[in-house]
Amino acid sequence: MSTTNLPPESLDTFPKLLAHHVEVRGDRPAMREKDYGIWQTSTWKEVAAEVRDFACGLAALGLQRGERVAIVGDNRPRLYWAMTAAQALGCVPVPLYQDSVAEEMAFVLDHAEARFAVVEDQEQVDKLLDLKERCRTLETIIYDDPRGLRNYDQPFLHDYEAVQKEGQTFLKSHPDFYEQAVAAGRGSDISVILYTSGTTGRSKGVVLTAAGCINAARDTVAFDHLNDRDQVLAYLPPAWVGDHYLNYAQGLVAGFCMACPESADTVEQDLREIGPTFYFAPPRVFENLLTRVMIRMEDAGRMKRALFHHFIALAKRHGEKILNGEKVPLPARLHYALGELLIYGPLKNVLGFSNIRVAYTAGEAIGPDLFSFYRSIGLNLKQLYGQTEAFLYVTAQPDGAIFADTVGPAIPNVDIRIEEGGEVLFKSPGQFQGYYKDDENTAEALTPDGYVRTGDAGFFDEATGHLKIIDRAKDVGRMQDGSLFAPKYVENKLKFFPFIKEAVVFGHERPFATAFINIDMEAVGNWAERNSIQYGSYQELAALPQIYAVIGENVEQVNRDLAQDSKLAGSQVRRFLVLHKELDADDGELTRTRKVRRRIVNERYAELIAALYDGRTEVHASVEVTFEDGRKGRLDGDLTIADVETFPPVQPAIRQAAE
Amino acid sequence: MSAVATAAAPNQNQQEDGGVTQNTARVFDEVLLEVKDISLAFGGVKALTNISFDIRKGEIRAIIGPNGAGKTSMLNVINGFYHPQDGTITYKGQVRRKMRPHNAAKQGIARTFQNVALFKGMSTLDNIMTGRLLKMRTNMLLQAIYWGPNQREEIRHREYCEQIIDFLEIQAIRKTPVGRLPYGLQKRVELARALAMEPELLLLDEPMAGMNVEEKEDMCRFVLDVNEEFGTTIALIEHDMGVVMDISDRVVVLDYGRKLADGPPDEVRRDEEVIRAYLGVGH
Repeated sequence: MSTTNLPPESLDTFPKLLAHHVEVRGDRPAMREKDYGIWQTSTWKEVAAEVRDFACGLAALGLQRGERVAIVGDNRPRLYWAMTAAQALGCVPVPLYQDSVAEEMAFVLDHAEARFAVVEDQEQVDKLLDLKERCRTLETIIYDDPRGLRNYDQPFLHDYEAVQKEGQTFLKSHPDFYEQAVAAGRGSDISVILYTSGTTGRSKGVVLTAAGCINAARDTVAFDHLNDRDQVLAYLPPAWVGDHYLNYAQGLVAGFCMACPESADTVEQDLREIGPTFYFAPPRVFENLLTRVMIRMEDAGRMKRALFHHFIALAKRHGEKILNGEKVPLPARLHYALGELLIYGPLKNVLGFSNIRVAYTAGEAIGPDLFSFYRSIGLNLKQLYGQTEAFLYVTAQPDGAIFADTVGPAIPNVDIRIEEGGEVLFKSPGQFQGYYKDDENTAEALTPDGYVRTGDAGFFDEATGHLKIIDRAKDVGRMQDGSLFAPKYVENKLKFFPFIKEAVVFGHERPFATAFINIDMEAVGNWAERNSIQYGSYQELAALPQIYAVIGENVEQVNRDLAQDSKLAGSQVRRFLVLHKELDADDGELTRTRKVRRRIVNERYAELIAALYDGRTEVHASVEVTFEDGRKGRLDGDLTIADVETFPPVQPAIRQAAE
Repeated sequence: MSAVATAAAPNQNQQEDGGVTQNTARVFDEVLLEVKDISLAFGGVKALTNISFDIRKGEIRAIIGPNGAGKTSMLNVINGFYHPQDGTITYKGQVRRKMRPHNAAKQGIARTFQNVALFKGMSTLDNIMTGRLLKMRTNMLLQAIYWGPNQREEIRHREYCEQIIDFLEIQAIRKTPVGRLPYGLQKRVELARALAMEPELLLLDEPMAGMNVEEKEDMCRFVLDVNEEFGTTIALIEHDMGVVMDISDRVVVLDYGRKLADGPPDEVRRDEEVIRAYLGVGH
C-alpha cells in the first residue's frame, strides 16, 4: 500500500487532473470495462486520447463553451469520458437518471437547456426522440452503442465513434485546440449540475464548481488514504451524487482505477472479479447479502454449519476490537486468525469483499447487528452522512471510531452547526453554488452567513462527539416538557428487532411516548411453530401474551438505549400495544414505498391512541379494512395495552466513570 | 368472442403502447426456400396435404393454425427431420433431395424447439458453444489437448458466442447451468444457440409459449433485432395472434394439414375461412 499522493493544488478542473495523471501514471489502469466477457483495461494515456478526440468532435459539431450537455445511461466508460470531454471544453455535464420517466427527463433537459445529449443506446435514443418535440433546445444526440440504430436516419443522430473520428480530423486543422481549451478552464467554472431525484416535488439542479468538487474530493481522499493502487466498481447511477463523487471525482483526484460492470445484472459477479478496495452500498444491499449468506449456511452440511457458527460467534466477541486496533488477548487473536483462514476470508471472497480497505454505507439507518456483523469479519465498514448540496460528504466515521448509530464527526474543513430547532447546518468546501435557475429555493436552503440547511434534525453525541441524525427536521416534535421527540429514530430502533415489522411512536405534545407495534408475521410465525404454539390468524398471533413479553423486552431495550442520550431520553416508550392488523398501503396507512403515513394512522386509530394515554389496560378496536379485491370489511378485536419500564437519563460523565 | 380471440387481446395493447411493431410493409423478392405440394403421412394419418408456400430472403414468416394443424411437422420437413412422401423443397435455388437434419444445419438452417431442448447440466456458454460445432475445423484430438490452431479457433468461436450473449443480454447467466434458469431465459438461451450457427434461415417453434407479457415483449424485440441486425430470415410458429400480427411480414395458415390462407397479416386476419377455423368469430 503506497501512501496517498495528492495532485498539485493548482489543478483545479477535472480535465487538468486527467492530463496530470497521464504524465505521472500514464500507463497505469484508469478504467476497466467487461467487453465480450473479458475485462478490457484503458490506461490514463488511452483515456486522455479518447476524451481529447471526443471533445474535439463535440467542438466540431458546434458545442460552445458554457453549454450544458445531457448524459443519459448506465455506468459506461464512454459516458464518463463524455463528462470529462464536456468539462474540457468548459461545458457542464448534466447526468440524468437513465430510468427516469419521460416527464421528468423532459423537465430536466428543458430546464438545463441542453443542446447536446450523449446517451447509451437505442432505448435512450428512442426516449429522447419522443421528447424532442417538447425540449425546444435539444439539437444533437450522440449514442454509444449503435445496436438497433442502423435504420435511424435522423441527421442529428451521431455515433460516438464517428464523432471521435471527426474530432481527429478537427484536431489536425486545430492542433492546439484541446490544450488551450483545457488551460482556459477555471476552478470557479461550473463543473457539473446534478439534479436531485425529486422525491419532494420538482427536481432541483444542484450547481457545483470545479474547485469545490476537487477540494472536497481531496479532503476525503486524504481522509481515507486513497491512492492510485485503489480500485472501485462504478455501479451506482451516474446521475447520483454518490457515483459522481466516490468514483468520478475521487478517481480523478487520487488516480485510481474505475471498473464498469458488464450490465446491471452482473454487478455481483463483477464485484467478485474486480475485488474493489473502496466500496459503497446502501444498508439494504448489505442486509440482502447477509440474508442470502445465512440462508445458504442453513442449507450447508452440519460440519460446515458448526464451523461457521463457531467462528461467527468468535468474531462477534473479538472481531470489531481487532479491527479498531484495541487490545485483544493473544489466544483470541490466534483463534481469530484461524477463523480468517477458514471462514471470514472465504466468505469475504465470495461476496467480493476480499480487497476492501474502506467501505461506506449511508442513506438510511443501519441495524447495529448488521453493521457489526460485517465489521466483525474484518470488513472496514463505516458510515457517512452527506447530501447532493454538500457534494456528498458532511460527516464520516474515521478508522477506529465506529458506532452503529452515529454518522461520525465532520470531515476536515467542514463546519457543522445545529440550529435551535435541531436542524443540521453545514459549510463545506464542496458545497453547492445554488440551485440552477431557482433563486427561491436557493435562498431557502442557504443561511445568510453561507451555511446550508440539510433539512435533517440531529445532534452531537456527548460521549463520542459524533453527529447523530434522528429524523427529517419537519417530523421532529416536542414532548410536553419541551424535550426532543424523534419518532423515526425510535421506530428505527424498534424495527431492528426481528419480531417487529413496523412501529409507530406517538408523543408530540404528550406527556410521554407510546407505540403501536406490528409484528413480523414470518419471524413470529416461525418462532411459534418452533415453540409449538398454536394460532389461527395474524390477529391471534399478535395477541399472544408470549409475544407481548418478547416485544416488551425489546421496547425496554430501546428505552435503555435511549436513556444513554440525555437529549432523547424523553422519547422512551412507556406504553405500547400490538396492533391486530398489519399496517397496509391498501388502507392508506403506508405509502407504496412502505413509509408510515402518520396523519392517516392518527385518524384511523384515534380511539387506540386515546386508550394509550388514559390508563386503560384493554381496548376494543374496530377498523375498516380494504381487501385485495377492493371489497371493504371491518376487523374487530380486543387489544391489551402493556406498560414498559423506563430509565432515567444517564449522564455521560457517570457513564464514562462506569466504564 | 371466442376463447382464442380473447387470449390474443392483451397483446393488441402492446401495439398501442408503441412496443413491438413492424410498421411499414416491407417488400421481399428473392425466394430463399420454396415448398411445393408437400404431403406427409404417418401410416394412415395425413399430417400435411399438398402444402405449397415460399419463404423469402430477409422476411419474418409466421406459420399459424390450431393444435394438430401440422405446423411443427412442417418445420420438421423443412429442416430435414421428416421426409415428405410427395412434393419438392427448393432451398437457395436447388431442389433438395432427401437429407438429414445435420445437412440442413450445414446449409444454414437452425431451429429452436417447442419444448426447450438444451443440455440442462451445461452452462449457458457451453450450450451456445455447441451451436458452433459445425463451424469447427480442427479434429477431436487437437481439441482435447487444446493447443495451437485449435486454441486460436476456440477463442474465435468464443468471441462470436460472446457477441450473441451481449446481443441477447444474457451476460449475467453466462456461467449458470441451464437447468437452473427460468423458462423464459432457457428459451432465450436456445435462441442464442441457434444464432451461434450463423443461420440464414431460423426456424422458431413457439418461441413465446408459456411466457408472461413482459418476457414476450423482450422476445419479440430480440426476434426483430435478429432479423434486422443479422438479416436472418425467420420462420416462426406462434399461437399468440398479437405477436404474429405485430412482427411477421407474411402469414401462412394451416388447418388439418391443409393450407387455408397465405398473405400479409391484415389480409389473413380478415379471411373468412381463417376466422371460422382458427381466430374465432365474435358473437
